[in-house]
Amino acid sequence: MEEQLTAVEAGPRYPGPFEVGVYARKIQAEMRKRAKVQLIGEVTGVGRSKVQAYFELRDSDGAVPCAIWLNDLEKCGIGDQLRDGVEVVASGGLDYYPGGGQASPKFSFRATHVRLAGEGDLIARLEALRKQLRAEGLFELQKQLHRPRLPKAIGVVTAETGAARRDLLAGLQRRGWGGSVIWGFAPVQDRHAAPAIGRAVQDLAARPEVEAIVVTRGGGSLADLWAFCDETLCRTVAMLRVPVVSAVGHERDRTLIDDVAAVACSTPTHAAEAAVPLDCLAARESLERCAISLRRAGEGAIGTRSRHLSALARGPARALQRERGSLNQKIREIRAAAERGLADRVASQTRKGTVVLERARNRAVGADMEKRQAALRRALVALRAHEPERTLERGYALVEREDGEPLASAAEVSAEERISLRFSDGRVRARPEPDGAA
Amino acid sequence: MDESERDLSPTAQPDSYEAAVERLEEIIDRLDSGQAGLRETLDLCKEGRELVKYCAAELDEVGEGLKELRLDDLATKLEVGSPESP
Repeated sequence: MEEQLTAVEAGPRYPGPFEVGVYARKIQAEMRKRAKVQLIGEVTGVGRSKVQAYFELRDSDGAVPCAIWLNDLEKCGIGDQLRDGVEVVASGGLDYYPGGGQASPKFSFRATHVRLAGEGDLIARLEALRKQLRAEGLFELQKQLHRPRLPKAIGVVTAETGAARRDLLAGLQRRGWGGSVIWGFAPVQDRHAAPAIGRAVQDLAARPEVEAIVVTRGGGSLADLWAFCDETLCRTVAMLRVPVVSAVGHERDRTLIDDVAAVACSTPTHAAEAAVPLDCLAARESLERCAISLRRAGEGAIGTRSRHLSALARGPARALQRERGSLNQKIREIRAAAERGLADRVASQTRKGTVVLERARNRAVGADMEKRQAALRRALVALRAHEPERTLERGYALVEREDGEPLASAAEVSAEERISLRFSDGRVRARPEPDGAA
Repeated sequence: MDESERDLSPTAQPDSYEAAVERLEEIIDRLDSGQAGLRETLDLCKEGRELVKYCAAELDEVGEGLKELRLDDLATKLEVGSPESP
């Protein structure tokens, strides 16, 4: 009797049920119809059976299980080079092993050819990553961080053995820098390198005394340097708050960590200079010069001003002397000028006085002329009235000596032997006789 | 002690070696220009001497020979010391 199932028990009304073995082979057929492609990635988990080799192709975003028949692998000519950590390009397509009564089914990428990844393959991958990280702005974050010129401690991520470590130390010592170097040793080549380097930079950045981190390794092929192109590592470095100086490979090698780091250098020696920008030896010399300049400036400022003050202190005496000399000169000039001026003025005044007097005389003469003439006439009349000739005209005679000298008394006449009597109309000689004899 | 405190009081402690050197260069330029008066010159000289002292101390800190430490050792010490830490 057929058992009836409820709707719940029956489940969705899809086609089937089909026999799983049939279905598994159907899957296998569908998978094998997919387009054949090439995959690139790092080989991990390599294993071999009697007939085929197994491995995973992996990158930071995902992984695909792969398998290759040993006879195909031998035709590829890479033999033992197919090992963990190598970058390969696998050609093939999807496959599905349906398993069986005892064997487990397995999905895989059936490779028909495997080759080691060439420079071109890696460069293509690198460029794609570079484009992506740049677009996200991850190249700029580290470059905006402040880099101290004189850090006291720096962290260094590199291989414990190798020339890079030695070169970096030599570079630091050449600058006269004697701070602390904290080594974060890590493998620098294989698939374990990137995670180890990532942990080391994070641990170093977490230490408060670390002011800069150097990530360095020597030269090699791009495949050798591939750990420094790891996307996870580069994202970690980009987000650190401590500046990272990268020096990976040689100058022509440009790994992704160089793009995200604060500074990318071509050699460990240059990385030392970038991590400690200050040349301590040169800085000491410069500081000595500064100290000398300051001392000279201080002493000079006082010395110069002291001399200036001394000069100023002597100034008044000199100024007085100068003024005195100047005054004396002026006095001499004034005196000479005064003498010249006085003479000129006297001459001028004399000329002026003469003119004034002349004018005054002329004025005086002109005004009194008539008065004076009238007075003169009156005086003349009075004078003529007293003239002896007038008296003689009235009948008097004037007694004179013979030489004409008037005789005014009898005694004078008596003393003369001969006298002259002058009348108005002429003279008469006479001889006086004594009074008693008459 | 009092003396050193008094010496430092006119100028603040520089933030960094770079800041100290930058200020020192400004001071030297100003003094070289001959534009500073006596009081300013003496103040600048005093500030400059303090900055030189600071820079020399900073250089001395990295002048005693390079010290090498291993991150692994530091991490181990941290782990060993952690139970005792408060």
